[in-house]
Amino acid sequence: GHRRHCHRQQEQQQSSGSGSGSDSGSGSARPQPLEPSLLRFLVCPLSKRPLSRYEEATNELINEELGIAYPIIDGIPNMVPEAARRTHTKAPAEGSEQP
Amino acid sequence: LRLWRCRCRALLSRPTGAPRARRGLAAGPEMHFGFQTVTEEERREKIYQVFENVAKKYDVMNDSMTLGIHRVWKDILVHKMNPCPGTLLLDVAGGTGDIAFRFINYVRSVRQRQLQRKLKHHQNLSWQEIFESYQNDKFNSLGDSQVVVCDINREMLKVGKQKAQHLGYSEGLSWVLGNAEELPFDDDKFDVYTIAFGIRNVTRIDLALQEAYRVLKPGGRFLCLEFSHVSNPLLSRLYDLYSFQVIPVLGEVIAGDWRSYQYLVESIRQFPPQEELKAMIEDAGFFKVDYENLNFGIVAIHSGFKL
Repeated sequence: GHRRHCHRQQEQQQSSGSGSGSDSGSGSARPQPLEPSLLRFLVCPLSKRPLSRYEEATNELINEELGIAYPIIDGIPNMVPEAARRTHTKAPAEGSEQP
Repeated sequence: LRLWRCRCRALLSRPTGAPRARRGLAAGPEMHFGFQTVTEEERREKIYQVFENVAKKYDVMNDSMTLGIHRVWKDILVHKMNPCPGTLLLDVAGGTGDIAFRFINYVRSVRQRQLQRKLKHHQNLSWQEIFESYQNDKFNSLGDSQVVVCDINREMLKVGKQKAQHLGYSEGLSWVLGNAEELPFDDDKFDVYTIAFGIRNVTRIDLALQEAYRVLKPGGRFLCLEFSHVSNPLLSRLYDLYSFQVIPVLGEVIAGDWRSYQYLVESIRQFPPQEELKAMIEDAGFFKVDYENLNFGIVAIHSGFKL
């Protein structure tokens, strides 16, 4: 999880750097914010329980109970279990993510 | 070209009743992918790839294959839904947004008429008051209606989102990547659940129906628009000819991909007929389950309610 985490952060930094130039309608250059109303409906597909929070830094939706995070790509939350990333290696600690 | 022609002939001569045991129920590891037999995992992957390949040409192909009639089918679905402003819709397998956009158009026009009627009753207002009432209602052009488009395929969602941008849809519309068999939504949340030309591609239809039931509010409606079975023998023969001779060719010419469209026409043949699907929907707990044939059963709309 550590390497993938860093990689995604790098990607985001790069895309936010290239910013306003590429506005051809694909919209994938800028990290797009999550539609706030969606959070009313979304739950973890595995536990069916509400997600703990939206983590702006990594653009992920966190489920602290299960210790996983779902990525948001191009403003679309990727809510399939296969896409989830573990935020802890062993038993959940204080809920802090790995650096 | 000779290859596919031979293949088509072989397929047409195959008895229609090729193993129907695997209808997306938990009947062992083997499943159908069109007329092939594959494992559950292979089927998911193959179907994902089909839609990954066709995503960009999806709308063009729909128009060519159905001579534009798919637009009418989708219009009929939304008219049957007859949503009022404030409705919360979950459109599953809604990738490119066709149902979502129609829903938004529909509630917007209903809302407009509501506002017009309201203003007619306020004939004695001053211009200031009229202006203010326009201001307030501007933020409610949809009357708080919302549609969430859920699809398992990233490419299809991308196309849908781009379309939304080009056509100017933004309010009341959200996109989620999710699995119909394992929806990332809370119980009892939506007023309407639609799945248009998607349920055929779900591997475990029973699970998808159970999930549909779960996320609908009590009183909520399930609507499924899908290719179905033509009972008229002459029409059925013509339909088969068209499906197997014309559609894969169109697929090759337009999308450069006949295999995906071969899968498409095969998957239609493998999908349960009207009565069987009705029974499956009832099994999931829905009440007042009914279906309406369009174009002699080429397409059917199934409807059910959660009570």
